[in-house]
Amino acid sequence: MSLSKQPVVWVHADCLSPTNPALMKYPGAPALFVWDDELLTEWRISFKRIVFIYECILELPVVIRRGDVVSELLAFAAEQRADSIVTNPSPSPRFKAISSRIAAKLPLQVVPVAPFVRPSAPLDLGRFSRYWRSVEADAMRPPDEA
Amino acid sequence: MSTDMRRDFADRDELIAYLRSEFPAALAEGAAVSATRGGRSAAEERLGRLDPARYAASRNFLNGAVTRLSAYLRHGVLSLAELRSAALRAVDDPAAAAKLINELGWRDYWQRVYAAIGEGIWRDREPLKTGVPAKSYAAELPEDLATATTGLACIDAFSRELVETGYLHNHARMWLAAYTIHWRHVAWQAGARWFLSHLLDGDPASNNLSWQWVASSFSHKPYIFNRANLERYSAGVYCRDCPLRTACPFDADYEELEQQLFPRAPRPAEPPRRRR
Ligand SMILES: Cc1cc2nc3c(=O)[nH]c(=O)nc-3n(C[C@H](O)[C@H](O)[C@H](O)COP(=O)(O)OP(=O)(O)OC[C@H]3O[C@@H](n4cnc5c(N)ncnc54)[C@H](O)[C@@H]3O)c2cc1C
Repeated sequence: MSLSKQPVVWVHADCLSPTNPALMKYPGAPALFVWDDELLTEWRISFKRIVFIYECILELPVVIRRGDVVSELLAFAAEQRADSIVTNPSPSPRFKAISSRIAAKLPLQVVPVAPFVRPSAPLDLGRFSRYWRSVEADAMRPPDEA
Repeated sequence: MSTDMRRDFADRDELIAYLRSEFPAALAEGAAVSATRGGRSAAEERLGRLDPARYAASRNFLNGAVTRLSAYLRHGVLSLAELRSAALRAVDDPAAAAKLINELGWRDYWQRVYAAIGEGIWRDREPLKTGVPAKSYAAELPEDLATATTGLACIDAFSRELVETGYLHNHARMWLAAYTIHWRHVAWQAGARWFLSHLLDGDPASNNLSWQWVASSFSHKPYIFNRANLERYSAGVYCRDCPLRTACPFDADYEELEQQLFPRAPRPAEPPRRRR
């Protein structure tokens, strides 16, 4: 994947490690976390969850804002004269929707996170037992081979 | 464009006061704050206490050596790969870490299903195997369950713990979900929304798909429990002083409970599942 020249990093709530791969790939790049007001309301996120997440964010080198995620990201990128946005993946449909709205305006690079297992063939996800049979050996491998 | 939110706080109380003024709507679900602190440093502190062998022997007990790392994993403060490495480092024989790594597999599995089906996690993956017509499940959580006033000491304690701490042991989640769906005939989606609102680790994949597993829309049969099971894994702490201890709805063997809860279910040949 090509390197962005002057990106901003979008840190979202699925990837709040200080060593998240997007931050690691672009150390020093301006980074933003956006509280998604619509999501907080829709999911009735309780106060204790907000406190927990806020404490996680405070350990990261990010600017914190709130509102509509796409508008906030694009505004932040414009302020920083960025040529692209870099983030980490998430399985959520909301992430996909936000990503495609961003990608319509600015290149978006999604830096993968180290996976738990690396299946060599498509997995049968019908039941856990079938999934586990395919990945167990890989899941148990010693850390120095990780 | 909004202005920057604050990053400078003298202490946790100041942060909490600020967030109260910024997010007043969230207080509608309760003003409680968890003792569990967010952040990588708090996660690493817990990681240092990892004991995979004790975990394997005791994880089903409410006082067992579970990691309580779920909220950090949920928010990617810590990755499954990092936790696996720490578990393998903490043991001499990798087999001693196998149980914990297998449980991490559950999270990875649910995440992969979520990536594949998206919003489909809110719909029954398969028809329920309870024999109870879908329309007889209530769409909303009953008031007494949400306010911890059912009179059942165990259920009320789990309900309170959920709302006050944002954490429940896996077994307590299973019991509370089974009670909600199978004893109270509440749609699993209502229970799932309740949990997502409160659990610090609230994750649409692990949560909704576990609710479906209990309900039987993502498993071969409904998950139920009985008093003997709950008493054993909770060391009897709830039953002892329960006002309903002589009128306990869980006090029966599995066959009786199945007859009573699922009279119209297709009878399986194997005995009911007790726990995973
Ligand atoms: C009805 C119901 C709802 C649930 N909702 C959630 C949820 O919203 N978020 C969530 O992370 N887990 C959920 N779980 C799964 C499980 O209960 C929690 O992950 C676990 O109790 C967290 O505590 P722990 O970190 O001490 O777990 P440990 O036993 O120490 O396990 C270590 C890690 O493995 C993973 N794990 C363990 N068991 C499971 C499991 N059965 N399914 C998925 N991952 C697992 C978790 O990431 C956990 O942190 C739910 C289970 C049920 C029955």
